[in-house]
Amino acid sequence: MSSKYHFVVRRVHSLLGLLPIGLFLAFHLTLNILATNSPERYEKVINTMRGTPGIFVVELVVIFLPILFHAVYGLIVVYGGGVNTLRYQYARNWYYLLQRITGIITLIFVAYHVFTLRVDGATAQATVTALTNFVKTPFGLVFYIVGVLSAIFHFANGLWAFLITWGITIGPRSQKVSTWFCSGVFVILSAVALKTLAQLLA
Amino acid sequence: MSNVIELRIKRQDGPGQPARWESFKIPYRPKLNVISVLMEIQQNPVNAEGNRTTPVVWECNCLEEVCGACSMNINGQARQACTALIDQLKQPIVLEPLRKFPLVRDLMVDRTVMFDSLKKVRAWIPIDGTYDLGPGPRMAEAKRQWAYELSKCMTCGCCAESCPQFNSRSKFIGPAAISQVRLFNAHPTGEMNKHERLEVLLEEGGISDCGNAQNCVRACPKAIPLTTSLADLNRDANKFAVDRWLRK
Repeated sequence: MSSKYHFVVRRVHSLLGLLPIGLFLAFHLTLNILATNSPERYEKVINTMRGTPGIFVVELVVIFLPILFHAVYGLIVVYGGGVNTLRYQYARNWYYLLQRITGIITLIFVAYHVFTLRVDGATAQATVTALTNFVKTPFGLVFYIVGVLSAIFHFANGLWAFLITWGITIGPRSQKVSTWFCSGVFVILSAVALKTLAQLLA
Repeated sequence: MSNVIELRIKRQDGPGQPARWESFKIPYRPKLNVISVLMEIQQNPVNAEGNRTTPVVWECNCLEEVCGACSMNINGQARQACTALIDQLKQPIVLEPLRKFPLVRDLMVDRTVMFDSLKKVRAWIPIDGTYDLGPGPRMAEAKRQWAYELSKCMTCGCCAESCPQFNSRSKFIGPAAISQVRLFNAHPTGEMNKHERLEVLLEEGGISDCGNAQNCVRACPKAIPLTTSLADLNRDANKFAVDRWLRK
């Protein structure tokens, strides 16, 4: 990566994590609740979205390319980092390590998730059935719980770092408050995701 | 309290030489520090097995935690040997050189990279001219008070040692030099060259390579608010980058 664009590339990487990727994650998890609560409305929303002209271009530019860039550059960031959590056992140092681990898990999870549920272009109902069958296997359930929670942790902790990267939370007090806020985001989104999974199993 | 002080020291005769562990037992006296124990070994270089060995090499200067020369890993944590009091340490006391800097011998490392980084970010105030430039602008007292805390940095390297982003695979210059940018940018005369320092921070190895692990602020023996400096300069660097781009 050229030194001239280093700062911009890093900042774009940070920005994409929230906009659009983080926002998309929150939207996606919220919409899933609808799928299990009222399948008809969910089907309608999905069909409306799929029927929108140019949806493929929107998905490519707003979702796929940002995730691809964030993932590939993220791997470069992981390579440049180190691990010293056993010597320096501070919570923030563990979060630093977890951010990298969950990033890699999320990449594997999302790649599998998109490949199996989106690429083949089946109907909304067929997708839900395929997913239900997969999470009813013990491996499928663990894979989804770990994958979804990793993605949510990566987003919530990334949001905490985002606030520092963009110079919003500067002092230790504001960073502590943002830790509580981001923990709240993690808990709420996790509850939504786990509830959806539980309803799929029911 | 036992009547001996037990030490385990990581020895290495030079760069590229094999490392080995050597144990030492020193007669107990109250109120010793790691430096005075190393001096005992220097006077009588006999290891715990009773064999004669080479004296352990280390570096020290001020003996009052203001120079940073005696930084080493003591029981796994980077700190100064002069303020590491034997009576407060768990035994056997494990001494290792800092890992992130090129080794010279035993506990002595070459911290030149720390000083190179200070040069890179232009951590000084240019006041030389061909004529008397006169007095500079006054500094607000409230600002002087927090800036003084940043001036306590002794470039010891503990922050870099504890930082997971500071390693051989990354060009990150570490928290110390970045915090010095905040210090010199806060100074009313130093502020006149603010853009030169921020420009360097935008490069690879600069502020965007911080990973927010926040070990630095805890490892710093002078309690410098390093993470506050980093976040504050994030704000400045972002503003500066956008401004510079829009003026092109």
